[in-house]
Amino acid sequence: MNPEDRRTAQRGSIELAGVTKRFGETAAVRNIDLKIPGGCYCCLLGPSGCGKTTILRMIAGHESPTEGAVLIDGENVVDKPPVERGTAMMFQSYALFPHLSCMDNVAFNLKMRGMGKDERRARALEMLDRVRMKSFADRLPAQLSGGQQQRIALARSLITNPRVLLLDEPLSALDEFLRLQMRGELRHIQAEFGITFIHVTHTQMEAVALADMVVVMDQGQIEQAASARDVYDRPRTGYVAHFMGGQNVLAGVVTGRQTGTVTVASGTKNITITAPAPAPALGTQFEVAVRRDRVHLSRAPSQAADPGVNAVSGRVSGIEYQGTWLKISVEDACSEGFVANVPDDKFFADPLKIGDPVIARWDAEQLHYLVARSGKRSAASAAASGSSTVAAAG
Amino acid sequence: MKVSPTLTSYLQVGPLLLVLLLFFGIPLLVAYSFFQFDGLDSVPAFDFVNYIDVLTSRVTLSLYLKTLYYAVVVWAITLLIGFTVAYFLAFHVKSLIWQMALLLLCTVPFWTSNIIRMISWIPFLGRNGIFNNALIAAGITDQPLEFLLFSDFAVIIAYVHLFTLFMIVPIFNSMARIDKSLIEAAHDGGASAWSIIWDIVIPLSRTGIALGSIFVITLVMGDFFVVKVMSGSQSASIAMAMSNQIAMVQYPPAAASAVILLIVVSLMVAAILRVVDVRKEIAG
Amino acid sequence: MQKLQTGKRPLSFYVLSAFFGLFVLFLYGPMSAIYILSFQGPSGGLTFPMRGWSLHWFDALFSQQRTGDFAGAFTRSMILAAMVLLLTVAVSVVAGLAFRRRFVGAAFVFYLAVASLIMPGLLVGLGVGLTFQTLGIQTRWFASALGAQLTWTLPFGMLIMFAVFSRFNRAYEEAARDLGATNWQIFLWVVLPILFPGMIAVALFGFTLSYDEFPRTLLTSGATNTLPMEIWGMTTNVTSPALYALGTVTTLVSFIAITLALGSIAIIQWRRSRRPPGITTHSTKEQE
Repeated sequence: MNPEDRRTAQRGSIELAGVTKRFGETAAVRNIDLKIPGGCYCCLLGPSGCGKTTILRMIAGHESPTEGAVLIDGENVVDKPPVERGTAMMFQSYALFPHLSCMDNVAFNLKMRGMGKDERRARALEMLDRVRMKSFADRLPAQLSGGQQQRIALARSLITNPRVLLLDEPLSALDEFLRLQMRGELRHIQAEFGITFIHVTHTQMEAVALADMVVVMDQGQIEQAASARDVYDRPRTGYVAHFMGGQNVLAGVVTGRQTGTVTVASGTKNITITAPAPAPALGTQFEVAVRRDRVHLSRAPSQAADPGVNAVSGRVSGIEYQGTWLKISVEDACSEGFVANVPDDKFFADPLKIGDPVIARWDAEQLHYLVARSGKRSAASAAASGSSTVAAAG
Repeated sequence: MKVSPTLTSYLQVGPLLLVLLLFFGIPLLVAYSFFQFDGLDSVPAFDFVNYIDVLTSRVTLSLYLKTLYYAVVVWAITLLIGFTVAYFLAFHVKSLIWQMALLLLCTVPFWTSNIIRMISWIPFLGRNGIFNNALIAAGITDQPLEFLLFSDFAVIIAYVHLFTLFMIVPIFNSMARIDKSLIEAAHDGGASAWSIIWDIVIPLSRTGIALGSIFVITLVMGDFFVVKVMSGSQSASIAMAMSNQIAMVQYPPAAASAVILLIVVSLMVAAILRVVDVRKEIAG
Repeated sequence: MQKLQTGKRPLSFYVLSAFFGLFVLFLYGPMSAIYILSFQGPSGGLTFPMRGWSLHWFDALFSQQRTGDFAGAFTRSMILAAMVLLLTVAVSVVAGLAFRRRFVGAAFVFYLAVASLIMPGLLVGLGVGLTFQTLGIQTRWFASALGAQLTWTLPFGMLIMFAVFSRFNRAYEEAARDLGATNWQIFLWVVLPILFPGMIAVALFGFTLSYDEFPRTLLTSGATNTLPMEIWGMTTNVTSPALYALGTVTTLVSFIAITLALGSIAIIQWRRSRRPPGITTHSTKEQE
């Protein structure tokens, strides 16, 4: 990063305080509090309709919040038009002006500000060079491929020297191969320019690969806002665990308490799990996550065998080959599906068949306690989840 | 200064509204009023009783029947031809470019003079015309066919020639929106070509058919020059009677005809509109 | 309508193509007769056979005084058509913008325009003529006829603009706003250029519909004639192939207008959507 970029690296911090957006009767987002540090690559992650695009557009200034404040570098920008906020937005369809050449597209903002033709041209070419598209200056957008269009769209946004760049599902329009490639480019450009990137996506692995901070959303609420590692490895709620994939969620009502363990009725089974401190009360909802690749699968001696502590028993219901590992689905182990990711050499040493009774075991350290759906948080789960300020669930 | 979006819309639609009111809305009201009063006189020039007499007179009735006859026959023929051409373009021409090119080919004559297109039938259909000469040369007849020109036949041919396009475009538009996979699914399910046309294509293109019908019927009902020339002044239509009255500066009867024509046309359009909701189709 | 198998067309395709071909022949055939006959020899009559080939009747057209004021009518028609073109484009584009939002009375204006479209021209002409007479204003080709013609062209323009705007991606405007453009700048530099092909289409309709318009103009043009009215006059007492010569000339004007318009649209669309030959996704070093 050159010195000028470094100086500005700390600017572009964003804060949402009590933001609500209503469209008629329905609220797209409700009472959102979020802090994003300057220079951060932040991904808003969630399914369609969760409110992530609404938040993006409120930061950009294309929507206004019904309640609450949007602060950029400490200043409330709610009454400011997009151009005065120091933000730039990259649209899902790129929205490159079809009637203008790449260079004229990139120079658009400069033209609107009244800059002279020669200076505009020079600056646009310089920016095109930085995104390695200089030789395409005179082409029209329709003559470019998807990845090239994205670079032009980036250049067009970056020339406005924004503090924050907002990207609305920028990789969705690309095919799989290109998507992986362009991911790297986005990260590279963000590091080079030092701008805060806010990137909306519904693809978990994309968010995890790119972001310093992942904000998982559902139905207008933030489920968890933390580093990529925390969101994946230490999800705060069952929703996040499910959404990110890679985790098994054991959920049910506490039916028994013993020293150091609790028994949970989950589905048709009773599962005994190492308890957190303090242990949950009888009759409360209890949820815990175990990573799918931290589970040891072994053949059960019989169908009715009691698996013991920190284990579940069930039947193999699906086997999916994934190259270096196999996804083994186990049914009837708990209230929701249970999956074990088994390394390929281990599996093929003694291949399982569909219908085989199995026992899945894990170590107590692999347990991660979740905030249960009723909203009560235990001390252990508060310590285990991520570091940023988050809204209370439910 | 921030102008409210609604106000902007009103300002933007203003010119259109102004022109339509000044040159369409108000003039129609004025024309209506004329069948009570004759211009500057405030004395009613036309009594309601006289008006009813004129309406029920044999001449007027036969005029209306004749015009309706033309309208229905032309509607039927243009519907048949228009539907077939639209069907061909929508379903048998695969490339979009060709669809557009062929459609344009049909549309280009629309952008030239109607009168010229109409009179171009005269040397074609006349006693010494191309068609008769070709028939004689081919030995099909040895006398030129008289009925071809200056007859109902000629009038109808001219109408079909001028107005079929108005059927083709809306029907084509409707057909182009039909999801092709519906047709394929029906075909896979064993439906015959005719059954596909009858049960799928026609219902789904009924808006286009309705629009085209409205265009053709109102055009025929309101025409006065095609019928005059192509029938050799032997036939007449309501509009033609109206134009004669205007030429003789008999405004009250002309206005009366205008109002009645307006009512008849409106009734026919309303009847068609009961079958389909057209606004959605046009305004998307 | 059988499914296409590896390029083989069903019989119905050939039957329908033949039908279509006949239809095109039906459309263009009679007009061609007129074009040919306009080159009729000096002693020739209104119908075939051709007695020699000449430009005699074109000559007669331009020099004859007794058949009316051809040159004047032509000029008036062209000027009127140009005025109608400009007004139709301006009013239609702006009205199209209005209809992108909901507002009270939108349906009323829409149906008023549609009614204006299907109303027989003679009625409209009558109404306008009577209105002017009542107000004591003389009808003139550049005033009352202009207004009457607009009642015919504006609905067409409005409908075309509807179609154009419905395909218009609002993201362009948002992107422009994001990049600092004011509303005027967005309209001037983004909306208008993208709309341009649609505007050419509206212009084409405005020009040709006005140039050939007859029933509305007949009662509202006042003391002087437009070209269609001249043609009508010659039709009612057809005496020579000069009428055909006039038909050829006026159709030529229409064809020039059509070619200019469609050509411009084609060029713009082609420029905005083609890939240069030889470019694939992996051909230059700056590719991904």
